[in-house]
Amino acid sequence: MNTLNTNCAGIARRDFIQVGVGGVLGLGMSDLIRLRAEAAWAVGKASPDQVNCILVWLDGGPTHYEMFDPKPDAPSDVRGKFDPIPTTVPGVQFCETVPRLAKTLDKMAIIRSICHKDPNHGGGNHYMMTGAPTPVPVNCGSSVSFHPSFGSMVSHLRGINDGLPAYASLPRKSRSAGPHFLGGQHAPFVIDGDPNRKGYRVRDVVLPKSISESRANTRFKLRESLDRMLRITDAAAADPSVDFDSFYQQGIDLISSPEAQAAFDVEKEPAEVRDRYGRNDFGQRLLLARRLTGVGVSFVTVYNGGWDHHTKIFETGFKKKIATVDTGVSALINDLHDRGQLDNTLVLLLGEFGRTPKINKDGGRDHWPHAMSVLVAGAGVPPGQVIGATDVKGYYASENIYSPEDFACSLYTKMGIDPHKILHTNTGRPLPIVNGGHPIKELFG
Amino acid sequence: MFCFSENRFRGLVAWAFFLCWFSDVALGQAAEAQAEPILVFPAEIVLAAKGRQQLLVQQRLANGLVRDLSRDAMFSSSDPSVVFVTDGVVRAAGEGLAKVRVEAAGQVASVDVVVGPKASGARLSFVADVLPVLGRAGCSNGGCHAKPKGQNGFSLSVFSFDPAADFREIVKDERGRRVFPALPAESLLLKKPTLAVEHEGGKRLEVGSPFYQIIHDWISQGMLYRRAGEPKFVGISVFPNEQRYPKSVEQQLVVTARFEDGSTRDVTHLADFSANEKEIAEVDETGIVRVGRLSDEGVVVVRYMGQVARARITVPTDRQFNDAVYAGLPRNNFIDDLAYTRFQKLGLLPSEACSDSEFMRRAFIDVIGLLPEPGEARRFLADESPDKRAELIDRLLDDPAYADTWANRWGDLFRPNIARVGLKSAYTIDNWIRECFAANKPYDQMVREILTAKGSTHRVGPAVIYRTRREPATLTTLFSQVFLGVRMECARCHHHPNERWSQRDFYQFAAFFAETKRKGTGISPPISAGTEFIYHAPGGSVRHPVSNEVLKPTPLAATPLNIPAGTDPRETLAEWLLTPENPFLARAMANRVWGQFLGRGIVHPVDDFRATNPPVNPELLDALAADFAVHDFDLRHLMRRIMNSRLYQLSSLPNKTNVQDTSSFSRFYRRRISAENLHDILVQVSGVESGFYNLRRDARSVELWTTRMDSALLESFGLPNSSENCPVERDDRPSMVQALHLMNSDKLQAKLADKNGRAAKLSQDDKPSDEVVNELYLALYSRWPSDEEKRVALEAFKSGGAKRHEVVEDIIWALINTAEFVFNH
Repeated sequence: MNTLNTNCAGIARRDFIQVGVGGVLGLGMSDLIRLRAEAAWAVGKASPDQVNCILVWLDGGPTHYEMFDPKPDAPSDVRGKFDPIPTTVPGVQFCETVPRLAKTLDKMAIIRSICHKDPNHGGGNHYMMTGAPTPVPVNCGSSVSFHPSFGSMVSHLRGINDGLPAYASLPRKSRSAGPHFLGGQHAPFVIDGDPNRKGYRVRDVVLPKSISESRANTRFKLRESLDRMLRITDAAAADPSVDFDSFYQQGIDLISSPEAQAAFDVEKEPAEVRDRYGRNDFGQRLLLARRLTGVGVSFVTVYNGGWDHHTKIFETGFKKKIATVDTGVSALINDLHDRGQLDNTLVLLLGEFGRTPKINKDGGRDHWPHAMSVLVAGAGVPPGQVIGATDVKGYYASENIYSPEDFACSLYTKMGIDPHKILHTNTGRPLPIVNGGHPIKELFG
Repeated sequence: MFCFSENRFRGLVAWAFFLCWFSDVALGQAAEAQAEPILVFPAEIVLAAKGRQQLLVQQRLANGLVRDLSRDAMFSSSDPSVVFVTDGVVRAAGEGLAKVRVEAAGQVASVDVVVGPKASGARLSFVADVLPVLGRAGCSNGGCHAKPKGQNGFSLSVFSFDPAADFREIVKDERGRRVFPALPAESLLLKKPTLAVEHEGGKRLEVGSPFYQIIHDWISQGMLYRRAGEPKFVGISVFPNEQRYPKSVEQQLVVTARFEDGSTRDVTHLADFSANEKEIAEVDETGIVRVGRLSDEGVVVVRYMGQVARARITVPTDRQFNDAVYAGLPRNNFIDDLAYTRFQKLGLLPSEACSDSEFMRRAFIDVIGLLPEPGEARRFLADESPDKRAELIDRLLDDPAYADTWANRWGDLFRPNIARVGLKSAYTIDNWIRECFAANKPYDQMVREILTAKGSTHRVGPAVIYRTRREPATLTTLFSQVFLGVRMECARCHHHPNERWSQRDFYQFAAFFAETKRKGTGISPPISAGTEFIYHAPGGSVRHPVSNEVLKPTPLAATPLNIPAGTDPRETLAEWLLTPENPFLARAMANRVWGQFLGRGIVHPVDDFRATNPPVNPELLDALAADFAVHDFDLRHLMRRIMNSRLYQLSSLPNKTNVQDTSSFSRFYRRRISAENLHDILVQVSGVESGFYNLRRDARSVELWTTRMDSALLESFGLPNSSENCPVERDDRPSMVQALHLMNSDKLQAKLADKNGRAAKLSQDDKPSDEVVNELYLALYSRWPSDEEKRVALEAFKSGGAKRHEVVEDIIWALINTAEFVFNH
């Protein structure tokens, strides 16, 4: 009876681990990465299940006025101090703060008419990160999880089969970015640290700094000879140590594959490309995100905090912050376009809500969920369009109004996922991925 | 490819011994030749006009198992003008008496049938006739029209819990467009499900089918809500509800609806069936169970009009052993007696006892969340006292580390979100839980303090629960789950789909919290959070959300309690809950603690007691709960009882009978060590502290009072997110992220290489390499290395170039990254 077994099975590895045969995957990690990269780089229309997503999260609620929805005809206490500028699309104006994105509008779209009713950070974050409103009101300090986040859902539905995390979040995760009932394995793999720093390494996927390859080789050999607990290989026995082995095998594959290792290394990029994204932590995170989706990570969130501008929205701090985003995100879209990867990559830029029309006494704007602008690019989104509109003062979405559910349906549809598929929670409760909503038709050419 | 070990040989030897000792008690093919009488269910049948009854024909086999012959039987009616039989279903044709003759397996039986008169002018009823059809067709399923906002503008109540609203929706809404009495077939209610017009839910009814005809006729008769004197539906039963089955057989289930006036009706064709464990048994939409090829126990859940019943499917192993086999097994206390009774029923034999090393490691992790130090491991392994395991259990339960370890585990049930209640409140309740475990406060006392908490959230720990849970309904959800082991959340919005609990049950329970008042700062951002006072004052009520009736405080499955004027209803609730006879409290906690030690609950998940999720061993749970209650709800007593059982001390390696057992505890189930315990154990084996920012430098992670932590290790291994609602469910599955972290974490590597760490210390002395290896095995695995392991490890010291402390580090690294280390086994 072949019930008890040790994990004497060999493991795919590169030169520092010498013995061994192919892994459980049949293909080694390097082959997989190459195949997936080839699929990702294939120029032309991608099938939706090959589309990966980069979601840029501006935490706090980015202003729609000072970015994509300027209101030059509104009174000065609404209009603000910045001027509108033309974009590559005749008749469409952005705010002067985003000149590079204005020049990129021919490769992307802006939705000006998404709105909801939750003015709190906790609730707004949940709504825009999961597509589901919170079932109870939650306050601004809260971080809550009542529904799986977009990334966790994608990880769950596409599966984490190939030894790469399906869902990563840089450099931290936002409040409602968790897996909820889908379980810890679909939580985002958080990649912290500053990729702009020299010698930056993604945590845990590369050998510790002080460990040379030859020493790692010694360690892996030792581990293999010393892991002697018997495994119960009958699947009906549900021995978790059998899963443990397959995860170690995948992990070792990842460490051993030069291609996988390269995906995590932004320093492999030409200096000129790195410059275009901006030599700062945020810009380099976008670049890292592009490298990750390029080898098949399904969903990458790039988190950028500090967008809760209750004060001083017209001063240097804000200008610097938005310049970083303008530079980085326009570089990302153009770079993906130039590499022929834009069709396979969905790029999103949003926060939890927009900001109040009236400028407050501190020269800032407060929370305003009744109108917000969302940037959408790639994955076949017809470029050069502004979808929907707000009223003349920017108070309310007024044309082609869309809900967060519509946004969520669009995201999932772009990634080849039926947004109305029913999942079942741990208690057996049927739960649609998105409750209601329809894909936003303008995003589908 | 697989490797043999001494352990495996030992198992084989023991197995051979059993084979010689006990000849197989026959089960299997030979037994079927025995001609036992056939049994027909139901034994007599009373049908209304147009009524129907599913028949069941069974035969008991010599081995005590039963087989279903329904689909092979021949049926004939003595008077086809009264009844006729098609596909095993008796159908009424006209008033009168008749006999149905049943022939199967060469035997004959007969059943008397009475068919009642056709009531003149009887009209179809929405409640009694139409709603069951809509349920069966899936319309009122939670994924379709019973979603929170309905589907495509048409909304029904989940499991028809609000028939009046459903009636309005169908008959009155959309200006009556859904029903068209003049031409019933033109009604949307019939055109949509038959796909005469587009329907996102697909085809749900065939034109002209019996179900179609019911809706059609109901519309043409003018859409009656309910017949005058129509008896109220009270519940369902399923037959057979408990039975042992051979593998790979089929069994028809029969579902009977019961009414207030004592009448019954066969609703097999209207019921919904689902199987809990599909590997053990599957069920189709007609109620035919297909038993799989595993031996274990599963449950088929039957739902009809918001009521549930379950059929328990027990599949014994192919071999059974006689009483003497079980009588000869070693047993330490009543737990083993009751477990062996169940093993015998299933044909399981328990695994061997675990080794002293395994026991020691297991007991340390489970009680204090740490490993034994090498010195203690040496002493224990060398100790020849027969009572050494019991003595170790006593010593661990008295260890100061016990309180923090268990407070941390229990904290999962109550730990508030600091962003909601403020830091000080979060700290206050954490501290209270720690004090409870340190003082070994009786469990009933802990529960009383929570249920009746009053005062400042900055001083009274349990008062904080009322700060974070602010409505009677949210308190009901928490307390019913934690103290009663019942998940009531579903019944908040609709009849519980898997239980008897209705919205009335839910809100009657919630009414105990109607008079709980709050004063001061409410929920608020951290740091600045002021205090809030929780107190009782008369006034306040809870209403039924559908009927709007004011409800009397009533515990689950009980009558309303008499609450003297001026008394806090919570005090009265506590009186009801905290008696040793209470059917919920002791069972729920005994099961929770059992789950912590044995890897899963007797009811699993541990806080999901319900009719459709029965305990795997009810007698064991009852005995454990009674023992806990009678010993004054002493948690350490309960733990001592569990740990001293032979069951807790079984090996995790299976024998031939129990390899597929994943719920009866005939072997020890391996599980990954929890995030906090693994962290503390890594600190222990590396000899280097982590230093959490808000605690003492040498604090263990089980001392953390909030899960808002920046620790990749804790997060990778499933530390719950502080945003989750408590009680949190931990994910204890292994993952690739965990593997990567243990292999590559810079922080962990820094711990291994620390100049004051274990590796550095062990390599500084002139200790012979041989002893260093012993020391490492004792520290990480609580055992001595085998000769082969020692040879491999010593080889590492000999390879040229490597520094001695690096070799020690590498061995520790290798041992950490093994299943033997990461699992409690």
